[in-house]
Amino acid sequence: MDYVLQTNALCKKYKEFKALNGLSMHVPRGAIYGFVGKNGAGKTTLIRLICGLQEPESGEYTLYGTKNTDKKILNARRRMGAVVELPSIYLDMTARDNLKQQYQILGLPSYDGLEDLLKLVGLENTGKKKARNFSLGMRQRLGIAVALAGDPDFLVLDEPVNGLDPQGIIEIRELILKLNREQQITFLISSHILDELSKLATHYGFIDQGRLVKELTAKELEGLCRKCVRVEVTNMPALARTMEKLTIEYKIISRSTADLFAKIRVSDLVTALEKEDCEVISMQEHDESLESYYMNLLGGGSRE
Amino acid sequence: MSRLLRANFFRMVKNRMFWIGTVCMALIGTLLPFAHYQMMIKEDYPMYIDNGFFVGAVLIGILLAVFCSLFLGTEYHDGTIRNKIIVGRTRSAIYLANLITCIAAGFFMCAAQFILYLCAGLPLLGPFQMEPKTVLTLTLCVFLLAASLASIFTLVAMCCQNKALTAVICILTAVFFLLFGAYLQTKLNEPEIYSQYQYVNDNGEIETDEAAPNPHYIGGTKRKLYEFLFDFLPGGQALQFSNSDVKNPNLLMLYSGIMVVGTTGAGLAAFRKKI
Repeated sequence: MDYVLQTNALCKKYKEFKALNGLSMHVPRGAIYGFVGKNGAGKTTLIRLICGLQEPESGEYTLYGTKNTDKKILNARRRMGAVVELPSIYLDMTARDNLKQQYQILGLPSYDGLEDLLKLVGLENTGKKKARNFSLGMRQRLGIAVALAGDPDFLVLDEPVNGLDPQGIIEIRELILKLNREQQITFLISSHILDELSKLATHYGFIDQGRLVKELTAKELEGLCRKCVRVEVTNMPALARTMEKLTIEYKIISRSTADLFAKIRVSDLVTALEKEDCEVISMQEHDESLESYYMNLLGGGSRE
Repeated sequence: MSRLLRANFFRMVKNRMFWIGTVCMALIGTLLPFAHYQMMIKEDYPMYIDNGFFVGAVLIGILLAVFCSLFLGTEYHDGTIRNKIIVGRTRSAIYLANLITCIAAGFFMCAAQFILYLCAGLPLLGPFQMEPKTVLTLTLCVFLLAASLASIFTLVAMCCQNKALTAVICILTAVFFLLFGAYLQTKLNEPEIYSQYQYVNDNGEIETDEAAPNPHYIGGTKRKLYEFLFDFLPGGQALQFSNSDVKNPNLLMLYSGIMVVGTTGAGLAAFRKKI
């Protein structure tokens, strides 16, 4: 697979606190990679490392195949944009001037595309209004526009919907999906608003205590999270035989428990199992969302 | 680095503090010759364009302290310095571009004062009494002083991530330089000997006191140290230029150069570990 970003056993310490503890992750090209973890799990630290704002103590990462120790990493970084923590914009400047500033930093020969960029993020009518007077959502969109200057094909967003109102959240979501679909921009999005992330992400990485606990695609997660009926029975081989006969997909959880992935008629199932000398002890619908998957994987609570 | 410079200059010309500083220097350059001219007419006292031509050297430290701390502090406060690093600009290039921008701002403010002083002063007060070479040398000295001040404030602003704290440190540093320079000047101006003088006593008789050594006079190694600090530190230099009383301008230029190189080296080393 073609990866935009790969990290290998990255470590970063702040005094005695291990922010990253051998983190390895893989962001495929074209993906919207949801980076999920508790506060203090190491999400922002990883983002700061790959943006070049800090150096890892050990381990390495490659950006477009270029190692972080290679001098060419600076060129590779020119292909990425990022909004780290808060949108990095000059508050005493207009949206247009902020973009002009970034165009100059990038050394772009003209301001071609600037108006399109403003239109893309919905800030084309802000005129002489200073960014200081923008709403949080507008600032976030301007931050993304600044990150998009220079046509990057990898965008890193740290908590992009934090603090936004529902309208702002929808706008950011639609913008991300539009950029991903129309311009094939790869996204790495850190967030702990899981419901929102589940509407976007094509890949997930779950981080805890500086380590990547699980990395999987949205499809794989869907498989793990799909609706099922959890049954507790007295005779597991009998249940298996019955499910094979009825061609119902199932997954054995324990010696007495199994998940059945189908919409079943309870009476039919109980009758079929009775014939195999198997009793049903309990039965309940089981619907695992990203949130419950996360809770099962990492446990609840906050580190803050 | 040229890209960073272009971006910085774009921001500089839109910066309010830059224009406030320039207007302050321009006002000095415009109003002082008029004040001197008024004095010359009213008091019938000869005034020359030389008097006060370099007085802006005293103010430039304060103006640059405010400008540099706010202009560069914004980079941390608004987080925009990250945009430069993320797109692959090196820390050295960012530091040097910021330094050059602040020096350029200082030069612009000084130039505004000099040009307007000439425009108003030449017709009102006549030509310089100093040699043209001396005028040019002292002008260059003032520009170098502005560069050394800008480099000191750049060092503070790039190493301190708190904009408000940066402003406080820079302004206090600028004021300290001036106060310390004035203190050194006072100490160095103490006469070695109180000369003989006469006075009328309580009985109305004229008495004469013989010349006596001044106990406050600073001599020996301590004097050399005071003289060095007066020449080396920007505050002492500013006072010397404002009085147009400079014994060794070349040495002062050298000291300003050392200050720029020293603070920039230290700043680059410190900034590499920052953010």
